[in-house]
Amino acid sequence: MTADPGHPTDSSGMRVTVTAAAGRLELPALVIDGRATDVTVTGPDERGRAVVTVGGERGGERRTLLLRDLSPRPGMPADGILRREVVIAGWRVELEIEGERRAALRERASRAREAVAHGGPTEVRAIIPGRVLSVSVVAGDDVVAGQQVLAVEAMKMQNELRAPRDGRVTMVAVAADQTIEVGDLLVVIE
Amino acid sequence: MAISPSEVPSLRKDRVGERPFRRLLVANRGEIAVRIIRACRDLGIETVAVYSDADVHALHVRLADDSVRLGPPPPTESYLRIDAIVEAARSTGAEAIHPGYGFLAERAAFARAVEEAGIVFVGPPSATIDALGDKLHARRLAREVGVDIVSGTLEPVAVERPDQASAIVAEANAIGFPVLVKAAAGGGGRGMRRVAKPADLPAALVAGSREAEAAFGDGRVYLEREIAPARHVEVQLLGDAGGTVVAVGERDCSLQRRHQKLVEEAPAPGLDADARQRLHAMAVRIGGAAGLRNAATAEFLLDPRGTFHFLEVNTRLQVEHGVTELVAGIDIVTEQIRLAAGLPLSAEVLRAAGQASEPIGHAIEVRLTAEDPARDFAPTPGRVTRWQFPSGPGVRVDTGLEEGDRIAPEYDNLIAKVLVHGATRAAAIGRLRRALDEIEIGGIQTTLPFHRFVAHSPLFRAGELSTSWIEEHWDGEADYRQAVRLAQLAAGVVALRDGSTTGVVTRAGARPSAAAASDGAWLSAGRELAIDRWPR
Repeated sequence: MTADPGHPTDSSGMRVTVTAAAGRLELPALVIDGRATDVTVTGPDERGRAVVTVGGERGGERRTLLLRDLSPRPGMPADGILRREVVIAGWRVELEIEGERRAALRERASRAREAVAHGGPTEVRAIIPGRVLSVSVVAGDDVVAGQQVLAVEAMKMQNELRAPRDGRVTMVAVAADQTIEVGDLLVVIE
Repeated sequence: MAISPSEVPSLRKDRVGERPFRRLLVANRGEIAVRIIRACRDLGIETVAVYSDADVHALHVRLADDSVRLGPPPPTESYLRIDAIVEAARSTGAEAIHPGYGFLAERAAFARAVEEAGIVFVGPPSATIDALGDKLHARRLAREVGVDIVSGTLEPVAVERPDQASAIVAEANAIGFPVLVKAAAGGGGRGMRRVAKPADLPAALVAGSREAEAAFGDGRVYLEREIAPARHVEVQLLGDAGGTVVAVGERDCSLQRRHQKLVEEAPAPGLDADARQRLHAMAVRIGGAAGLRNAATAEFLLDPRGTFHFLEVNTRLQVEHGVTELVAGIDIVTEQIRLAAGLPLSAEVLRAAGQASEPIGHAIEVRLTAEDPARDFAPTPGRVTRWQFPSGPGVRVDTGLEEGDRIAPEYDNLIAKVLVHGATRAAAIGRLRRALDEIEIGGIQTTLPFHRFVAHSPLFRAGELSTSWIEEHWDGEADYRQAVRLAQLAAGVVALRDGSTTGVVTRAGARPSAAAASDGAWLSAGRELAIDRWPR
C-alpha cells in the first residue's frame, strides 16, 4: 500500500473521496482524491471478508479485510450515511461513508451551524464502559479545560475524565457506583 | 527459609501411575481456567469451575464437569472470595484447588485457608508464598546462596525517620542514581518510583510507601539500582516434596510495557550453554534455599555486560509457561498437579532439566489483549463480533474467548496467547507471521497490529531486545493511519459498487476514543494507572 503519510485531513478525521473515473462505474478505473489509482476489491463474501489489491492485480499489495455494517438496519440508513467497521492488518477502523454530493452539502451546513453554535453546550459521553468511582462536580460549577470531572473504573484501572473545555456544568447525568456503557451521557458543560 | 517437616507433604513414590486426584477445583477464569481444565482432562481428573455473573456462559464453565457461582462480576465479590471458593471445593468434593495466575494465586492467606480446609493447594506451601512474596526476604536469601542481586538495600528504608534522611541519600548515592524505590510486598510495579536525583528521593520514598501501604497493607520500601538497558530473563523451576528442585529452561520476556509482558520466548536468544547453565544453577540454588515445592519462576535482569542480577521469585504458574512447555516437551500444569499430590518429579521433567542448558527448538508467545496499540495501549472492552484463531504446524492458541463473547471491563483483558514453535528462532518467527496473518478478530481493537510489527521487525529478528524496546521502536499512530487509508479505499470501492452514485466520501476517526474531546487526559490517566493491574 502506497498511502501518502502527508495526506491532508480535515477536522472530522481522515477523509478520502473515491470517484469512478469519467463517470464510469466499471472498476477498477478509480480516482482517489483526484488521482487515478489502481485498486481492486474482491468480495465481501457473506462473512464480510474482502480482498483489496492496490497497484495492479499482479505485483500489487494484497490484504484481506473484514467489513461489517454498523448501521442498526442493513441497507442505506435514513440519514444517507453508511457506517462500517473495517478490520485491516489488525486495525479496527470505523468509517462513515456517504455520496460525494450529499457530503458536500452536509459539510457546508455543519460548518455554518458550528459558526452559529460556537460556545454552545458540550455533551461529555463515556468512551469506555465501566463503573463511576466518584463525581467531582455538581451542576452550576465552573470548570476549566483539563479539570477532573469524574473518575471511572474500567478493566481494573482508574481513569480520570477531564473537562474538554472551559465552561459551566449544567448537568451531571451519573452518580458514584453507577455502571456506564459507551456513549452514555456523563455531564454537560455550557 | 525453614519449613517444618509437618508442613511438607511426603513424597509418594508408591502412587506413581495413579490418578493424582479424583476431582479438582479451578479457582480462576478465562484462558488459564480452560488450560487447567484441559490438563485435568488429560489426567482423568474431574473438574469444578467457579464463575461470576459475568461468566455464566464462559467456555471454562462449560468445559468443567461441575460449576459453582461465586457472586457478582467485581472480583472482590467473586474470584477473590476465599471463603466462597473453599466452600465450593468442599461442597463439590474437590480434593485440590488450582489457583492459576493472578487473583488469589500468590496470596498466602488463600493457600493457608485451602490447607486448613484439608484441601490440597496446587502450588508452593503458604509459608513459601509468604517468604518469597517478601522481596527483601527473597533478596537476602539469594545473596546468602551466592547469587548476584540487583544492587540496593536489603532492609526496608526508614521512611518515617526524617533524622535518617541524609543517611538514606548517602546510601542511594552509593547504589548510584537513577534508583528505583520498590515495595517489599510489591508486584506489577505498584509502589515503584524511579528517582533520577538525590533531591527527589525523600518525596518518592513517602509516595511509594503510601502506595504500597494502600495496595498491599505493607508500606515497606527498599532501594534498587536501575539497570538500563536490560533484558528480562526468567527461569522455570519445579520442585517435589522430596526436596529436589530443577530448572527446565529460561524465557526472555524483555518486550514489556509498564511491567506488563507482551511477548515472551524460550530459550532466551544469544545465551551460550555456559551462561545458561550458570543462570539455571543460580535459580535452582534460590529455589532450593526457599524450600520450593511445585512450580515457581525466578526472575533476573541481564545487563549489557552479560551479568545476571536476581530480581524476584513468582510462586505460581506464569502466563508464559507455554513457551517452556513447547521447547522442553513437558506439561507444566499436569506436573504441578502431580507434584501437589506428592508424586516425585516426572521422568520427562528430569530429562528436560538435564537438557535445559542446550535446548532444541524455539518458541515465541504473543499476548493478544483488548488494548489499542495506537492509543498507548488503552483498554478496549466490548463485544467480540468475529474471532477466528490460527492453527497449523507449530501453532498453539490458549484462549477462553468465543465469538460473541464480551470482554468484561472487570477483568484482565487478555484475549488469547498465540504460541509458535519451530526448529530455530527464525523458523518460529516465520510461523508467528503466518499465525498472526490467519487471525480474524472484529468488534474491538486488539494488540494484533503491534504483534505483527514485532514479527516483521528486523531488530526483533536480530534478537536485539530490551525492556524499553516498545517505547523506542513502536509508532502505533503511524501504523494505524496507514491502515485507515487502505480501509477507506476498500470501503469506498465497495460502497461505490453497491450504490448508485459516482463518488463517495469516507470519513474515519469515528472511534469512541477519538471522538471524545477529553481523549488525551483520559488516556494519560489510564496510562499512569495501567501499572495497577495485577501482576501476571
